[in-house]
Amino acid sequence: MAVRPATLARPAPVAGRPFTVRGLLEREGIFSWLMLSPGVLFLLAFVAYPFFYGMFLSLQDRRVASPGVFVGLANFVTLAHDAVFWQVTRNTFFYVAVTTVLKLVGGLGMALVMNQHFRGKNLARAFLLLPFIVPTALSTVAWMWILDPTFSVVNWLLVNGGVVKSGYSFLGNASLAMWSLVVVNTWRGMPFYGITLLAGLQTISPDLYEAAAIDGATTTQRFLYVTLPVIKPVLIIVTMFSVIFTFGDFQLIYALTHGGPANATHVFSTWSFDIGMSAGQLGMGAAVALAILPALAVLIVGLTLYLRRE
Amino acid sequence: MSSRREFLTASLAATGSALAPRWATAAPKSMTVVRESSFIKPFDDYFAKTLAAEYEKQTGIKIVYEATSVGGMLTRLTTIAETKSGPEIAMTGLNHAHLFDNSLVDVSDVAGGIGKQLGGWHENVLDVVVVNKKWKALPWGNIGQLEVYRTDWFKEVGVTKFPETWEDLLSAGRLLKKKGHPFGFELGHGFGDNHGWLYPLFWSYGGREVERDGKTVVIDSAETARAVDFCRKFYQETMLEDVLGWTDVNNNKAYFGEQISCTNNASSILVVGKKDFPDIAKVTDHALNPAGPKGRFHVLNAVSHALLVHAPDQAAAKAFLKWLYDDKQMSRWLTSADAYYAPFLHGYDNHPMWNAEPRYLPYKESLKTSRPHTWPGPQGPAASESVAKYVLVDMFAKACRGDSTKDVIATAAAQLKQIYKAK
Repeated sequence: MAVRPATLARPAPVAGRPFTVRGLLEREGIFSWLMLSPGVLFLLAFVAYPFFYGMFLSLQDRRVASPGVFVGLANFVTLAHDAVFWQVTRNTFFYVAVTTVLKLVGGLGMALVMNQHFRGKNLARAFLLLPFIVPTALSTVAWMWILDPTFSVVNWLLVNGGVVKSGYSFLGNASLAMWSLVVVNTWRGMPFYGITLLAGLQTISPDLYEAAAIDGATTTQRFLYVTLPVIKPVLIIVTMFSVIFTFGDFQLIYALTHGGPANATHVFSTWSFDIGMSAGQLGMGAAVALAILPALAVLIVGLTLYLRRE
Repeated sequence: MSSRREFLTASLAATGSALAPRWATAAPKSMTVVRESSFIKPFDDYFAKTLAAEYEKQTGIKIVYEATSVGGMLTRLTTIAETKSGPEIAMTGLNHAHLFDNSLVDVSDVAGGIGKQLGGWHENVLDVVVVNKKWKALPWGNIGQLEVYRTDWFKEVGVTKFPETWEDLLSAGRLLKKKGHPFGFELGHGFGDNHGWLYPLFWSYGGREVERDGKTVVIDSAETARAVDFCRKFYQETMLEDVLGWTDVNNNKAYFGEQISCTNNASSILVVGKKDFPDIAKVTDHALNPAGPKGRFHVLNAVSHALLVHAPDQAAAKAFLKWLYDDKQMSRWLTSADAYYAPFLHGYDNHPMWNAEPRYLPYKESLKTSRPHTWPGPQGPAASESVAKYVLVDMFAKACRGDSTKDVIATAAAQLKQIYKAK
């Protein structure tokens, strides 16, 4: 006979019993809130407060070290008339979309390979995680050298291999600069997909594959009709997290190009920093940072609803 | 009958005044000075280890030295001003005195005293430190941005003296690029080496972003067009494509990697060269920026020290600044910097610090023709916005990558009109 969990819970203190801390802690409602409170307080202090303060700032003409003046949506209207803002919007969406697709495909491939049995599998897994583990500031310095036209190992290989006569200007050419950032972001973010999807793959029962094989399913069919449906929830969650992180990517771009050449690689985070910190326009800087909110909100709500429906 | 609020206010005021004399007489135990790390390490060390120790010995007040990373001072200053806490004295640069005006103490009395003692201040620094007729920072020295070039390679193409005009530099650059020694002037989003030559080039052709009134945007002019056209030619015929994406570290790397024959930089490049690349340092020299049809210019980057209003004992902080700027201290500290900071006091125009290395003399010479970013416009928040948005840098960079002169100027003019709220 199944035992209902409720019957295992201690009975609530009887009315009239003397009040004790232990008695209070025995109450599930209070105990669960007590357990939740550190996390809630942390989120309130470091997520909710900055977020709402940012919203408050975005509605003000607020210069550094000066009192703000409420201007309503004027900052957003100003941004809508700024050509650089639209360039930054295009850059951000391109950067997020392309890196997300590349990380998703690459990460899935990585997970599928890592899910096979081969010698040195654990070592290979550890190495593949390295880009994710190394602090971004450090790995970016290494990429600065890799992408430097003078010292670039890529250019050296291309020139000495006879592929090209002179090396590419990876960060000086507007298109190449954006693609270079895409490559670096993909390199750094792919292990996150790989390791998370690997966890999803390992939950798939081998029986399912065996049954499918007995039914005559090909490798592609097994992937499409067994693997993908099972890992879909993980795939959606990891994509959602990755999109959020990529929208907020700052260090990599700031260190490699600082938004240049001629704003070709500026994204919301770097442009917002320049306006808020370097120009001292805290209100406008906050407005730029919040401009990604509608797109992110639609994406997160959409994916969450889809997941719930599934 | 007074209200409870009035009673509390009166009580607090009475308590405060009773305690005030005691606070006034008690010297602070310590004060903190925050500065951006200098490229010249002995300069930082001299303050932290020698001057701070001397002051503590003389007064009992410990001076704590906080160093921020290069390029990080503005962010640090923002957090100090916004939280109204932290160091009492902070380094400022560019137009920070204007940007943080509300957070800085009027130090006109100290500036007046120093000026009297040391021969008076250079006029051109007043634009960046005097706000509404009040000195909001004490100028320390200018970090000049000048030409840096390879004397051996210039000689190879028959140029024995650094060209006097931009056109002559272009001619030399053509020859040098043909020989495999291109120029490398930053056109990307760095914080110093881009503005260091682009503003002077712009001004020397007669270009201006905005008038002194801060309301009339004048960038759309024939002078600007001439500067843009010249810059495009200069880039295409003398440089590497990569300069469009350079930040401030790249030109140093390229120079010491022997990839470029000329760039615009502070004198720290020679200091580093002497230490780490002695062979290249031997064939390196500095020169003033070339002149254009409307004169010769340099950017003013006045490093100064400001006193924050939240300092608990402003009198003690002012006393420290007076001591620091006294010739006995200032002279020694300047000397430790290997002429990296060109002082704004006429009393130091012939300071012995200039004798150690004649190649630094152009940095002293450049003071006369140095102007702050966005000059002749006012040095307020709009100037910061223009610089932070790289309006001028991107105007030139876009022209260099192939956009038309008309388009790049129109874009810059539209941006400036929005920034300066001009019609």
